[in-house]
Amino acid sequence: MGIPAVPLVLSEFYKQETEAALLKGMPGLRIEWVRGPVWGKTREQLRRDVVNGISPISKKNVMQEIVEHLTKPLTAEEKRTGELVRDKGPATFTDTPDNLQKMFLEKRWTDFLPVVLPTEEKVADMLKGTSHDPDEVVGKMSPTNTGGYFEYWTFTVKDVAVNAVMAGCKPEYLPLLLAVASTGKEAISVSDNGFVGALVINGAIRDEIGLNYEIGALGPYAHANTTIGRAWSLIAINLGNCGKVGTTYMGTVGNPMNLINIVIAENERDSPWQPYSVRKGFKPNQNIVSLFEGWGVLSAKNWRANVWGKEMNFPKIIKDIFITQAPFLFGATAVLSPPIANFVKNAGYNTVDDFKKYLMEAPAGQQPWFQPNAMEIIVTGGTNNNYYSIGGLMYLQSVEIDKWR
Amino acid sequence: MKGYISTAVITALCLGLFCGFPALDNQAMAQGNKAAASAEPRITVLNPLGNPPPVKLKSMAPRPASLDGKTIYIVDDGFVGGDNLLLEMVDWFTQNMPKTKVVFKRKGGMGFEAEDPQLWAEIKQNAAAVIIGMGH
Repeated sequence: MGIPAVPLVLSEFYKQETEAALLKGMPGLRIEWVRGPVWGKTREQLRRDVVNGISPISKKNVMQEIVEHLTKPLTAEEKRTGELVRDKGPATFTDTPDNLQKMFLEKRWTDFLPVVLPTEEKVADMLKGTSHDPDEVVGKMSPTNTGGYFEYWTFTVKDVAVNAVMAGCKPEYLPLLLAVASTGKEAISVSDNGFVGALVINGAIRDEIGLNYEIGALGPYAHANTTIGRAWSLIAINLGNCGKVGTTYMGTVGNPMNLINIVIAENERDSPWQPYSVRKGFKPNQNIVSLFEGWGVLSAKNWRANVWGKEMNFPKIIKDIFITQAPFLFGATAVLSPPIANFVKNAGYNTVDDFKKYLMEAPAGQQPWFQPNAMEIIVTGGTNNNYYSIGGLMYLQSVEIDKWR
Repeated sequence: MKGYISTAVITALCLGLFCGFPALDNQAMAQGNKAAASAEPRITVLNPLGNPPPVKLKSMAPRPASLDGKTIYIVDDGFVGGDNLLLEMVDWFTQNMPKTKVVFKRKGGMGFEAEDPQLWAEIKQNAAAVIIGMGH
């Protein structure tokens, strides 16, 4: 606009907003840092604590500093224009394995666990998992997905392969990871909500690469589920500049699921309904990965709406739980074990859409609280008990895996 | 007495067997580890990072020498509760800098990140400066 401006920002975001200002081309942007949080306070409290208070960063009076920011002549550095070229550093590093592990950790290129060091040989082996050129640009990624706030970093097939090696993946997992990476969706969002990413995988590839969709399906109980989920986070950290606490990660209490995310191979064999990907319009023989984001899921038994009894009415319990879910932003997703899904089907809901219609029926006199696209049903897990999970996960998009073979 | 002395010597020897030898072993192991560390092969690994784009630097807008006689806009981006703070700032300017005219506006658009071109145009036309906030 060409008008002097002062943004007001909480001092807790100092590192993040300083970097954001740099990325926007104004590394010395005159920001007024105030003590937060601001919301939830009365005007009297804000007058005392902020307007008549001091900046936690500069220790100067807030209002006097704002006036100063708006009137003090610009320095030569603040007038600087041109291009600031940033380099990701050397293409390779040579040292002992122990020292390299230490370096990767110190540079925050890991998830704080030891990684498989990405030697040329291991990366070349990983690249056998795809026919695509190693230098082909796969996509771009930013800590905010939209890229409106942080910049996008671009990355190639080889870059994805390097991170797949680090996570411990096998070459046959690479097409799935390339498909996920091609969406640009970061597994680790900057949001203070502490979001987690989720993948739903359908098609024959589930068996081909050994994804677990039986007992323990959502946990780290199979090599493919665990390392694919971990790789998605490492891809976010290293190819999208995500997960840097204070700048590109602000999850207030964090989310342990960020380590390996939620990787769901649907149990198509034991599900009474069409596979999730088919319900999204793909053919049954297509290998598809669908991406989600949200707070995650936890056992449906955690909700007060749950009941324990000799005879259970799971459709009603699920509906009662859905009623308590926030119908906006991230909706609600239920991950049903096959026994629960079959119970629901045998209760008369022959398709997921039939069941969703029932779930969305509001009590008499009330407006429906869910839209169909804010509600997802996925089937996975073992057949050993009537357990299932529900939580806040929003469907984002589905992509084909095979075009990355 | 002689028997006691013999027993003591034997006990000391036994202690030596149990305590001294492991000490020697530890020394040997430490030396071995050091040798192994110095002989640890060096390997070459690839940089795992993606490619950040260049940053196009922009100059900040020139500042007026004073806000006296000027109009400034204080803009609420819509985050809940931010208006409470910003209205307090409006009051501060009224009381402490009465020669400065203050206009309070609520930014339009869906969400606090959304652009509001109409408001930006109004600010460009009318304002000498703008204060905008506030998240959280």
